[in-house]
Amino acid sequence: MMRRVTLDDTEAIALGAGVLGTGGGGSTYLNRLRLNSELKNRDEPVTIMQADDVPDDALVCAVGGMGAPTVSNEKLQEGQEIKRAVRALEDHLRQKIYAIVIGEIGGGNALGPMITALQLGLPVVDGDGMGRAFPELDMDTFMIYGASPAPFALSDSHGNVAIFERIGSAKQAEAFARSLTIEMGGSAGLVMPVMTGAELRATIIRDTLSLAKRIGETVLDCRARSIEPAETVAALCNGVLLFEGKIVDVERRTVQGFARGKLIISAFDAFGQQLEIDFQNENLIARGGEKVLCTVPDLITLVSLDDGEPIGTESLRYGLRVAVLAMPAPKELKTPEALAVVGPRAFGYDVDFAPLPGNLL
Amino acid sequence: MRLLHEQNIEDIALGAAVLGTGGGGDPYVGKLMAREAVRQYGPVELYTLNELDDDDLIVPAAGMGAPIVIVEKLPAGDDMIRAFEALGKYSGRQPRGTMSIEAGGLNSIMPIYVAARLRIPMVDCDGMGRAFPEIQMTIFTAHGITASPFAMSDERGNVLLMDTVSNAWVETFARSCVVHMGAEGMIALYSATVKQLKEAAIYGTITLAEEIGVTVRNARREEANPVDAVRAAVGGFLVFRGKITDVDRRIEGGWNRGDAKMAGTGDFAGQELLLEFQNEHLAVRVDGEFAATVPDLIAVLDSETGEPITTEALRYGMRVAVIAFPCAPQWREPAALELAHPRYFGYDVDYVPVEERLGA
Repeated sequence: MMRRVTLDDTEAIALGAGVLGTGGGGSTYLNRLRLNSELKNRDEPVTIMQADDVPDDALVCAVGGMGAPTVSNEKLQEGQEIKRAVRALEDHLRQKIYAIVIGEIGGGNALGPMITALQLGLPVVDGDGMGRAFPELDMDTFMIYGASPAPFALSDSHGNVAIFERIGSAKQAEAFARSLTIEMGGSAGLVMPVMTGAELRATIIRDTLSLAKRIGETVLDCRARSIEPAETVAALCNGVLLFEGKIVDVERRTVQGFARGKLIISAFDAFGQQLEIDFQNENLIARGGEKVLCTVPDLITLVSLDDGEPIGTESLRYGLRVAVLAMPAPKELKTPEALAVVGPRAFGYDVDFAPLPGNLL
Repeated sequence: MRLLHEQNIEDIALGAAVLGTGGGGDPYVGKLMAREAVRQYGPVELYTLNELDDDDLIVPAAGMGAPIVIVEKLPAGDDMIRAFEALGKYSGRQPRGTMSIEAGGLNSIMPIYVAARLRIPMVDCDGMGRAFPEIQMTIFTAHGITASPFAMSDERGNVLLMDTVSNAWVETFARSCVVHMGAEGMIALYSATVKQLKEAAIYGTITLAEEIGVTVRNARREEANPVDAVRAAVGGFLVFRGKITDVDRRIEGGWNRGDAKMAGTGDFAGQELLLEFQNEHLAVRVDGEFAATVPDLIAVLDSETGEPITTEALRYGMRVAVIAFPCAPQWREPAALELAHPRYFGYDVDYVPVEERLGA
C-alpha cells in the first residue's frame, strides 16, 4: 500500500500516468518538473491515503488542469492556479478541505494534484475518477455515479477565479468551463467535484496512483534490461500489444479548446497494414481498415517502441516508431450508466462498445 | 427619500429608453417586471446618496446579454434575485440597498424590481448615466471600484461567482458564459459603499430618466412636438430626420451588432445617415461625416410620438428623428474616456464633444 510519494517515485509515476493518459491528460514532463521542485523545496514527501480512511463527513475535492494539451505544453502554469481555486472554494463553503483527490490519473493530471496537496499541506487519495484520461468534465465516475457538479471552481494564470455555485448538470458544467478555459488562454486549473468522504468512497476508482507507479517501474525495469517495454506493460494492465509500426500521417488541430485529429500508423512488414486512430485530447478509437479494434472507454496508448515512453496526442509526428497498447477499462467505466457518458456513441461513433476481456485493475 | 409607484416606473422606463441610446435592453420588459413587483410588494423607496450612511453597502443589479433575446425571452425574475442574493452571501456582507449600474434601458428598471421584491432601498444614481455594451465601461472602473465579486444567474438556476484581477476580465468571462445561458443572464456586481459612490457615481440619474419620461408624456398630451421636447429635456441636438432605408443586424458574441441607414426628409432631404451599434448606438455619420460618437448619447426617436427606438426594433420604413446629447461630464475625464473612446470601438477618430460638433 502506497503511503507517500518522494523524489524517487516521480519518474515512475509520470511514466505510468503517461501510459494511462491514452495520449491526453496533459504533459507529464512539465508537471513532473514542478512536482520535483516542490518536493525539493519542501523536503517532505506527498502523503498518500486510502479512500477508505477518509471520514464520512470530511470534505475532499478533485483537482486537475483543464484545456488543450497543445496549449498547456506551450503556456506554462503560473503555479498557484489550483491552490487559489481550492482556497476560494473553502472560503465560499466556509469549510476546510480534508484531502485532495486526483481527478484523472492519466497524463500530467496525475502529478498536478500532488503539487497542490504539497502547497496546501494536505494528503492525496490513492485513486481517481477515470482510471485513465478523458477530454470532458462530465466523464468521470464522480459525475457518472451521482456526485454533484456544483460547487466547482476554475482559476487562471492571471489570478482570476470563477466559482459555479449552482449548475444544472455536469454537461452544462463542461460547456461553461470549456468556454471560460478558452477565455483564460486555453488552460485553467479546475477544482471539481467537492465531495464528502462517503460520496468519494461510493464513486472513486481505487488504487490507480499505485497502478501508475507500478506501470512506470515496469517500464524502467525493462529499459534497464534493454527490452522493449510495450508487451510487458500491456500484460501488467491486462491488455494486449495491438500494433507496431511507424506514424505516417498526423492531422491535428486545436479546436474548441481540444486537440482533435487522427493519425495513421503503418506496419513495418511488407503488407502495408495500417492502423488509424482518432483522438480528442485522448485516443478514442483504433481501426484497422473497416474493422474497429478498440474504442473508449478501453485504453489506447501509443508508446515509443524502443523505450516505452508514452506519446501524447500533442507530440505525435511523422516518423515516430510506436507500439500501440490496448488495455481494458476499469470495471467502473463499463456499466450502462458509464457507457452512456464515455462509450463510443458518446463521442459520436456509431459502434457498440466491444470490451477487451478483463479489467484494468 | 421618495416612493416609486407605478406611474413613476412608467415615466422612468420611457426616459431610460432615451438614455439607453438604442440599447440597455428594452425597458418595456423591465417595466412589466417592476410594475408587477410594486403591485405585489408595494412601492419602492428611492434614496439619494446623502440620505444613507457612508458604510452602507450598495449592490447594483442588472441584466446582461443581447437585447434582441431579452425581448423574446423575458427574465424569470427569480434569476435576478438569485444573483443578487448569491453575491451577498459570497462577499459575506449584507447589501443595504441596490442601484442601477446603467441608467439606460432595462437596467434602469431592474433594480426597482429587486428593491420591491426584497424590500430594500434603491439609490438614485448609476455608473454610466447612459447604457454601454460592456461591463468595464463604467465611471466606477475609472475610480478603481471593482466589478468583482461578481454573481450571475440564468433562468435554469445556474449560479456563477467570480473574482477577477480587472473589470475587463469580468466582461470577458461573463460574456462567454452569457452565450451558454442563451444570451441572457442576470448579474450583481460593482458592490460599493455609499462613501465610494459619493465619489464615483453619477447622481440623480433615475430622477433624470423620470423627468425625461414626464416631458415626453406631457408633450404627447399637449400635442406638442415630442421630439423637440425630448431634445430640450436632455440638452441635445437634432442630428437628422428621415426614413430608415436599410438595417443590418446580427447577434454576435452575445450582442446585437450592426448598422442602419436612413434617407433624409424635410430639411434633411438628399442627405444620408449611417448609424452603427453594438447593443447601443456607437456613432452616427451624415453624408460620411461624424455627427456624434460615444461616449456622447445618440437616440433614435419615432418622429411622431417621440418614443425611443431600440436597436432591436429598428426596421425598414420607420420615420425617425435622431438626436445626440452630451454624456455625463465624468466620461470626459481621461481615465473614463479611454474606457469608452471611439477608438476602443474601432473608429479611427478623436473624440469631439457633441456640442462642439453640432452646437452652432
